[in-house]
Amino acid sequence: MKALNESRATKVRRQVLRHFVLGFASILMIYPLLWMVMSSFKPDELIFSDPTALPTSFDLTSYFQGWFTFRESFTTFYMNSFIIAFFAVVGNLMACSMTAYAFARLEFRGRKIWFVLMLGTLMLPYHVTLVPQYVLFLKLGWVNTFLPLIVPKFLAVDAFFIFLMVQFFRGIPREIDEAAIMDGCGPWRIYWKIMLPLSTPVMATAAIFSFIWTYDDFLGPLIYLNDMSQYTVPLALRAFVDSSGGESLYGELFAMSTLSLVPVFIVFLAFQRLIIRGVALGALKR
Amino acid sequence: MAELELQNVIKEFGGLRVIHGIDLKVEDGEFVVFVGPSGCGKSTLLRMIAGLEEISGGDVLIDGAVVNEMPAAKRELAMVFQSYALYPHMSVRKNLAFGLETMKVPKAEIEQKVQEAADILQINELLERKPGQLSGGQRQRVAIGRAIVREPQIFLFDEPLSNLDAELRMQMRVEINRLHRRLGATMIFVTHDQVEAMTLADKIVVLRKGLIEQVGTPLELYNTPANVFVAGFLGSPRMNFLPGTITSVSGTTATIELEGGHSLTTEIPNPPAQGEVVTLGIRPESLVPVPEAEAVLSGEVQIAEQLGGETYVYVALPHGGTVTVEIKGQARVEAGDRLFLGFEGGKFHIFGADEKVIRHA
Repeated sequence: MKALNESRATKVRRQVLRHFVLGFASILMIYPLLWMVMSSFKPDELIFSDPTALPTSFDLTSYFQGWFTFRESFTTFYMNSFIIAFFAVVGNLMACSMTAYAFARLEFRGRKIWFVLMLGTLMLPYHVTLVPQYVLFLKLGWVNTFLPLIVPKFLAVDAFFIFLMVQFFRGIPREIDEAAIMDGCGPWRIYWKIMLPLSTPVMATAAIFSFIWTYDDFLGPLIYLNDMSQYTVPLALRAFVDSSGGESLYGELFAMSTLSLVPVFIVFLAFQRLIIRGVALGALKR
Repeated sequence: MAELELQNVIKEFGGLRVIHGIDLKVEDGEFVVFVGPSGCGKSTLLRMIAGLEEISGGDVLIDGAVVNEMPAAKRELAMVFQSYALYPHMSVRKNLAFGLETMKVPKAEIEQKVQEAADILQINELLERKPGQLSGGQRQRVAIGRAIVREPQIFLFDEPLSNLDAELRMQMRVEINRLHRRLGATMIFVTHDQVEAMTLADKIVVLRKGLIEQVGTPLELYNTPANVFVAGFLGSPRMNFLPGTITSVSGTTATIELEGGHSLTTEIPNPPAQGEVVTLGIRPESLVPVPEAEAVLSGEVQIAEQLGGETYVYVALPHGGTVTVEIKGQARVEAGDRLFLGFEGGKFHIFGADEKVIRHA
């Protein structure tokens, strides 16, 4: 009996310790975010003088001022970000799913080699191709337009999404394709009428990541977009900080940064439902 | 409706030959069953007819025209798959209509054909459901419906009943039979289940290792199997095989000594030479209990299965091996009993050393 009590006490102690450690780690990780949100409601001078204090009042000045700080308002920056992200998502979904369908289902010469080569590009860091890409787009006269950020997405350059979709397509029973062949479908119709509708989970996953990565992208827009009227949100946020040693507008920066998280949350929540529905659909399939 | 002909059809997968030159003729309106153990090539053969598998050699003809290079959809065939292969994201109605929509059939006509098929298969109340909401039997019906709406020349069934439970399988078997009578269409049905083959077929094609072993009506194959394989494959319980040796031959009369010492004398049209090894095949229902003096075989009962209508008795022979005996009614036999057995009315087959039949029952 005593041994039993002891072991129960140890168990409780271990539980408490575990919760303490996990709680501490969580606070550690979420603290920068909390700090940013809290600071967005404080006047500039209080941000660094008392970094841990909760805001005494919800002062929205930074939000209004931040929105209109620059020559162009954040309306423009959000529009730019959304335009680029929208086309990137559409381009990625279309091009990657078509490529993935080809790899998963069609017979063509050198399919395996092309697939391995495609996967090989996953290991190529973005920065390696940056300079040649820049030169290419410069020669095309595309620098200072959205084209370098959008057009490549329509050419299935994202091997990760292709790989993801190939794996998903391979999981769809081949007999369904064959039934469609007997029903008179060619590859295009099978892709469009059978494969795509059955692939909502993987499409939603690709859409979420595609959106977040494009929306969050800093390096791409930094390199290709020079004119403030074409800035995306991350570029505009960077403009709040004066790197030449002058005054930086931290209150406005934090306010706009907080606001910039909202679209990501919305997209995630909206598409997450699709993922769950897709998974449920998959479960019904034998 | 149409005739189908296979002329020396060959299939190779990367140099490995799996179908070794098959010749077969399927008449208009016939129900043909391809049967054989797994890996015998029956599904491959069906898929070649369907156009889902390329033909490595020989010709497939539909109504006299070679269709080797014709795409599957143009062959006017419909196929029912083992896994049903319904489109999971479409309602039953849409599943049925999809093929017709692809063929650009007018909407009103599609609607009418879907309705007809639904009536035939009694799936009217399921039309708005998704395949995921259907039971196995209902899915099977929808899969058959999808074939019916296209009014194909030939129906192809690839083990359509193997995913169903025993009772449903029997029920669907009857329905497919009824459907065949009603539509009068040519049907080719692949199965590994000899009961399905026996009950459904006008003509059974027994396949093994990519070759046809025998073609014939169910009873022809049952009564006059061409070789040990066919004899053993069709019929349940399985035919008993007893090894023996020819001890004497005079004209067409031969005496065979079975393992265990019993001998029997019988007519064989072209008897093998003295000393040759033969196999005697006898169906369980032709083995009958007899008085000890008339016995050809004797042994100890291992298990007696009482099925009510009949009794299956498994008898261990003294020299190894077991024979199955089917006794009509409820026989009073128990494990451990000694049973003396004779051949009813000379109903046994004899197979030569090459396993080909040399005497029919």
